[in-house]
Amino acid sequence: MTTRRSFLSGAALIGAGMVTKAGAASLPEAPVQSSAATAPPLVPPNGRPYNPVVTLNGWTLPWRMKDGVKEFHLVAEPVVRELAPGMTANLWGYNGQSPGPTIEVVEGDRVRIFVTNKLPEHTSVHWHGQLLPNGMDGVTGLTQPGIQPGKTFVYEFVARHAGTFMYHPHADEMAQMAMGMMGFWITHPKDPKQHAVDRDFVFLLSAYDIEPGSYTPKINTMLDFNLWTFNSRAFPGIDPMVVRKNDRVRIRAGNLTMTNHPIHLHGHTFEVTGTDGGWVRPSARWPEVTTDVAVGQMRAIEFIADAPGDWAFHCHKSHHTMNAMGHDVPTMIGVDHTGVAEKINKLVPGYMVMGDKGGSMGDMQMPLPENTLPMMSGEGPFGGLEMGGMFTTVKVREGLARNDYKDPGWYKHPKGTVAYEWTGEVPPAPRAPGAPPSKPVEAMNVKRDAKHHH
Amino acid sequence: MNCLHKLAGGASMALLLGGCASLSGDGGFGAAAGVSEQRTGLSASVAGRLPRNDDDARALAAVIDKKLGQPLAVDEAVHVALLNNQGLQASYWSLGIAEADLVQAGRLQNPVFDFKRSHGGGELSIERTLTFNLLSLITAPLAGRIEGRRYEQTKLLVSNEALKVAADTRRAWVEAVAANQSAEYAVQVEESAQASAELADRMRKAGNWSAMDVAREQAYHAQTVADVSAARKTAVAAREKLTRLMGLSGAQTAYKLPDHLPELPAAPQELGDIEQIAVNERLDIQAAKLDTAHTASTLGLTKTTRFINVLDLGVVGESEGPINRRGYELSLEIPLFDWGSTRVARAEATYMQSVNLLAQAAVNARSEARESYADYRASYELARHYRDQVVPLRKKLADETLLRYNGMLMSVFELLADAREQSTAVNGYIGALKDYWTAQANLEAALGGRLSGHLPTTKGVTP
Repeated sequence: MTTRRSFLSGAALIGAGMVTKAGAASLPEAPVQSSAATAPPLVPPNGRPYNPVVTLNGWTLPWRMKDGVKEFHLVAEPVVRELAPGMTANLWGYNGQSPGPTIEVVEGDRVRIFVTNKLPEHTSVHWHGQLLPNGMDGVTGLTQPGIQPGKTFVYEFVARHAGTFMYHPHADEMAQMAMGMMGFWITHPKDPKQHAVDRDFVFLLSAYDIEPGSYTPKINTMLDFNLWTFNSRAFPGIDPMVVRKNDRVRIRAGNLTMTNHPIHLHGHTFEVTGTDGGWVRPSARWPEVTTDVAVGQMRAIEFIADAPGDWAFHCHKSHHTMNAMGHDVPTMIGVDHTGVAEKINKLVPGYMVMGDKGGSMGDMQMPLPENTLPMMSGEGPFGGLEMGGMFTTVKVREGLARNDYKDPGWYKHPKGTVAYEWTGEVPPAPRAPGAPPSKPVEAMNVKRDAKHHH
Repeated sequence: MNCLHKLAGGASMALLLGGCASLSGDGGFGAAAGVSEQRTGLSASVAGRLPRNDDDARALAAVIDKKLGQPLAVDEAVHVALLNNQGLQASYWSLGIAEADLVQAGRLQNPVFDFKRSHGGGELSIERTLTFNLLSLITAPLAGRIEGRRYEQTKLLVSNEALKVAADTRRAWVEAVAANQSAEYAVQVEESAQASAELADRMRKAGNWSAMDVAREQAYHAQTVADVSAARKTAVAAREKLTRLMGLSGAQTAYKLPDHLPELPAAPQELGDIEQIAVNERLDIQAAKLDTAHTASTLGLTKTTRFINVLDLGVVGESEGPINRRGYELSLEIPLFDWGSTRVARAEATYMQSVNLLAQAAVNARSEARESYADYRASYELARHYRDQVVPLRKKLADETLLRYNGMLMSVFELLADAREQSTAVNGYIGALKDYWTAQANLEAALGGRLSGHLPTTKGVTP
């Protein structure tokens, strides 16, 4: 999946092994990713050892070691990202994808990052959460000039503390972040045993407003987004998080949307073990099934995956588990369409009554505008999943190999562990003692006693 | 009229003259009908002549009823008008009058026999005079030519009248069909508004909408009901205009019209020198030319006869008592006080008036030709724009709106609003199409013939 190419051509560009005296004259390669699938964890080929993470529907950026310095090359450029099968978006990202590749380093590493700007406007990179020299903080105007189109800047600092971070521009950030400029940053602890987990998933929360039928996000939208994503993927385009039973699992999420996201896991309790500030002391950890990730924050949660099954994992804002939908569509629930439907059908052939019994349209397969996703879709073993947006599953299975992240398919429930329909006799509803014998149910008529105002 | 020259004179000439010119028997209708048929492509009679009796009337009614039995195409409507428009029939009869004048001009006036009996003073006087208009003998060839021209002119004017009725009918038909179509679209808009209002009411009953939302939908619906009434009024007026032009009454007024105007042709007619066509082909121009020629002849006649006012040759037989006297009487105007110059001046002025009227008619015809051709081409472009751009784009919008409704991105109310917008666009196309067909009828009228395929390339009537 990962293809390597040199983004600049010419004899001046040489491979990692050919370092000249004037070392700065040579740039490390800038690998490019063409797929939106989840890449396997990148086991560090050199440098300090660490336990690599799995970037959900993403990948980790390879580096080169040069004189003991980890050198990365980010290329800011326009990209086409598949948000889910059936929909692509014209975004801005890094090295072929949005979000950009995850950067993984180890506490104490000296890091040199080359940033080449192939965007039509200036940019910069801010290393969110890093403790670094002020001039490396990447705020245009404040700590550096913008990186003009075609120019390459170098950032160099020491990754001083382990934790969960991200990177994003601090130049025209309203446009650049709305266009998808962001990436994950992990600083692993020096001691790989410290905070060690069996599986470590990472992703960023991002939101886009892409009008159905179009491809480019509306960057001026402030709150009314219609696509809610994990790593710029919307369900059913988000991969499941596959774990082995009894694995210790860590999930790290960073929020670069303009609202908070209460992230909820089914079937387990977890603890919030990390923020962008570092690790939470064990005595301060709260047991949770939902944790709110506020805007601009990172959260790491951990749990023992002791319950086999396919467990839902999602943002608990119900509109955030929907794809593009009309926010001004009136509620049709309970509206009798008898007669009117035929009239409308005469005027608008192809019209179907929708929403009179609720919002569900999981069973409806109707043509949609180009390049958009159904509001809710996805098929499960029991029918329509009626989900979109920030939704995926944690699939806990027994007997998986240590590095097996392959989707094991739907969970096979042991006999007697699935909710079932009651087919026996339905007993009469219990009544309060002394209640009059059963009468036809009448609508409740609430009358307030005038004397009892509260 | 040449036969006149052969006559030596005398009262017996009248008998010979009688066989020289005769009535055509159809009052000249056939000739005029031929011109209008050539120009309109439609015959103006059922029996080959104007209906004169009950049989003719029945045959006419049968033909018309057959046409009215199915939706009336524009040519059929024009045909009915040519056959049945009573005003037009009246002008056809004016041909009969002109023909009678012509024939009359070719005949010597009947000799006049005066008988005078008087008695007084015991004396009985009986006076018998047989007079014969000699002047008419002299002027007969000229008068014949004049009346001949006048007859030709009348024929042209009557034919022109027929063309005018045909053009009016064509326009009225286009108007009536378009008005019907527009009324139908107004009904569609109303139906969509009604569906909106009804659904709004049910939204309210289900507790989903406020009274304000419902009132907004209902107010719109009420407006569309008013629009339907207005459209229907227009449709009735347009239809009645057509009915009048076709001269229909009673059960015949229940005729049906097609649902749609004819489609826009693949391309507009390309016409070369439209001004020349108009001047050559228009019957009113030809009639004006004839009028000018006619006044020229009159001028010549006046010059010739300036000294001869009345020349009466009278055979006098007078009985005065028992004595019979015979002889003749001749009166000759002596140009002592009036040398006839005023009459000549008047005739000259009349001629110049006629020349100027002809020139103005030609100027008007050229201008009308230019204007109507430009309008025709512009109307075609506009209708084509509606057909090829506006309507397909509206359709595309409707399709896209439905897709957005499918995706729950838009509501059913937006879907209905778009259906109304689409109707408005289609109605715009109907209007443009109506303007095109009207412009075509106007152009035909301005050029003096049918456009479809070809205009007459030869002159219908040689002046």
